[in-house]
Amino acid sequence: MKPNLTLLTLACILVFQFGCGAARKSEPISGSLKIESQEASLGEELFMRHCNQCHPGGEAGLAPSLNDKPAPGFAIKFQVRNGIGAMPVFSENQVSGGELDAIVSYLVFLRDHK
Amino acid sequence: MRWNRAKIWVLISLVIAFPACYQVSGYRTVGPIGPVSPIRFVNPGDIVLPEGYLIEAVARGLTCPTGVAFDDSGEIYITEAGYSIGEMSAAPRLLHVSGTGEVTEVASGAENGPWTGVIFHNGFFYVAEGGQLGGGRILRIDRNGVVTPLIDELPSRGDYHTNGPVAGPDGYIYFTIGTYTNSGIVGEDNYKSGWLGKFPELHDIPCQDVVLAGENYTTENFLAPGARGEVETGAFSPFGVRTTKRQAVDGRIPCSGSVLRIGPDGGKAELVAWGFRNPFGMAFSPHGQLFVTENQFEMRGSRPVFGAGDLLWEIEPGRWYGWPDFHGTNPVDVGERYRPPGKGTPRSLLAEYPSRLPPRPAAIFAVHSSTAGFDFSRNPDFGHVGQAFVAAFGNTPTAGKVLAPVGYKIFRVNVQTGVTHDFAVNRGKTNGPASWLSTGGLERPLAARFDPSGAALYVVDFGVLKYGRLGAVPQHGSGVLWRITRKPVLQ
Ligand code: HEC
Repeated sequence: MKPNLTLLTLACILVFQFGCGAARKSEPISGSLKIESQEASLGEELFMRHCNQCHPGGEAGLAPSLNDKPAPGFAIKFQVRNGIGAMPVFSENQVSGGELDAIVSYLVFLRDHK
Repeated sequence: MRWNRAKIWVLISLVIAFPACYQVSGYRTVGPIGPVSPIRFVNPGDIVLPEGYLIEAVARGLTCPTGVAFDDSGEIYITEAGYSIGEMSAAPRLLHVSGTGEVTEVASGAENGPWTGVIFHNGFFYVAEGGQLGGGRILRIDRNGVVTPLIDELPSRGDYHTNGPVAGPDGYIYFTIGTYTNSGIVGEDNYKSGWLGKFPELHDIPCQDVVLAGENYTTENFLAPGARGEVETGAFSPFGVRTTKRQAVDGRIPCSGSVLRIGPDGGKAELVAWGFRNPFGMAFSPHGQLFVTENQFEMRGSRPVFGAGDLLWEIEPGRWYGWPDFHGTNPVDVGERYRPPGKGTPRSLLAEYPSRLPPRPAAIFAVHSSTAGFDFSRNPDFGHVGQAFVAAFGNTPTAGKVLAPVGYKIFRVNVQTGVTHDFAVNRGKTNGPASWLSTGGLERPLAARFDPSGAALYVVDFGVLKYGRLGAVPQHGSGVLWRITRKPVLQ
């Protein structure tokens, strides 16, 4: 079945509207982030290369915060591949499927960091 | 008061050429507190650091401080930028800072500021003079305050300035020159900021020969107000001068967007690397490798560029680093990545690129965070040996809009992996400059440098900038010198 893009987009926008917890969790404020998987640690490096400039440390900057939103992995991936709104699209050539998985697993650590 | 009366040296040394706050209406300054600075309340307790680190204010009441240096007995010196805006002015100065925070003047400059930084090397101070009026200079200053220019007429009377310096392990004095323009085309933004009206002949200068794509941008003819009609302006050309496809432009040194060096007694400038926009901070790593911070494209002028984060580069001698056509390894004309909302994708200005395209940056910082001066930790007592501690001045209104303030902090950077962490930030629900948060924390960190022991990181905080009719107006006496140390770890 072909996914309905409009519905998916709406669903993604909805999940990103949830904010929970303070969005400031960087090292001085919340202590150092313990990343306990190799995948997430690779994800951190990839996040720094591809995402950090607009979502600095997962906080808001040029773009909205990511560290306080319970969006599921598929919604994050959908956003990265489709670039809804002012966000650029990242193709498989720029960020491979495996790399995007790593970024998502880093974002989960960041989100759970209190 | 007209725009072109505003000689804004100060801010211009950074990404700050065209000020207005990212949220002018929301910008508050702190009311009169304490006897030192009427507009700057200072409270180290409002700054948060990782467990075990301490911050204190070493000197306050400074006016636009830009750099810090230590002589061979560990005495502290700072530079103040100097500025001249409308009726207000302050001279650029080199100051000694006593153990109790009192300052005494060692030397001062005239109207060719801003003084953007200082080092102490082999018995002399070396100061980078921005050159807003007569072009940039590198000054050697002896302990009695006698100033000897080592090189002058550096091409830095535009948006950005002559910055630095640092001393290399090779004994050379390294400095940088920022570009005249945001992205290669002289336009309305340069008219508004004041320099185009005064120096209509100025334009960016490549360091090596380039071949142009012949792209031109059409604007009103700002230089002949009333004379209706439009003009076309091409890359590396004065305002209103068209370029043609495959037009050759000769490179020369000194040039725009470059890292250059001279001997400790002066002489001709030599090229280190080029293709930068505003290379501002410089430091040699403990392994003797030169790194440079670069303030990246803004959303202004004829060729605005969207979403380009500031960069940290490891410098390879002789290499081209991408300006005006690349952001890091990405060409800005491909796809929609750098297209400002509602505008066109920036077109490529060069028909050919140097044989080697730009390498991958060592780190990428938040868009518009204005990452500036930095240094490497070399002392295990401070920790994080080999990592860079980078001051981020914070966003400015003309750079482009942001959803939340960026910068106003110190970053810690692992230059091997490119992973950046916040190191010193303001306390509060949100990030931002202290005056906006109504706290006594960091305002606009511009430089970070370790003392000779490496046990203390000094942070130069430029102070409060207010945005209004005259652009960005620095608040006299609101600058602070901070010191960060680590509590001894109990064995
Ligand atoms: C050039 C800037 C830029 C870069 C780089 C960027 N983003 Fe975004 N991102 C945005 C903007 C702008 C939005 C808001 C989009 C909108 O709603 O208009 C956004 C939204 C998002 C959202 C939805 C959050 C929300 O609240 O709407 C996610 C998830 C996201 N980005 C993840 C990423 C990831 C992962 C990367 C790296 C692979 C990345 N972004 C790189 C600019 C960027």
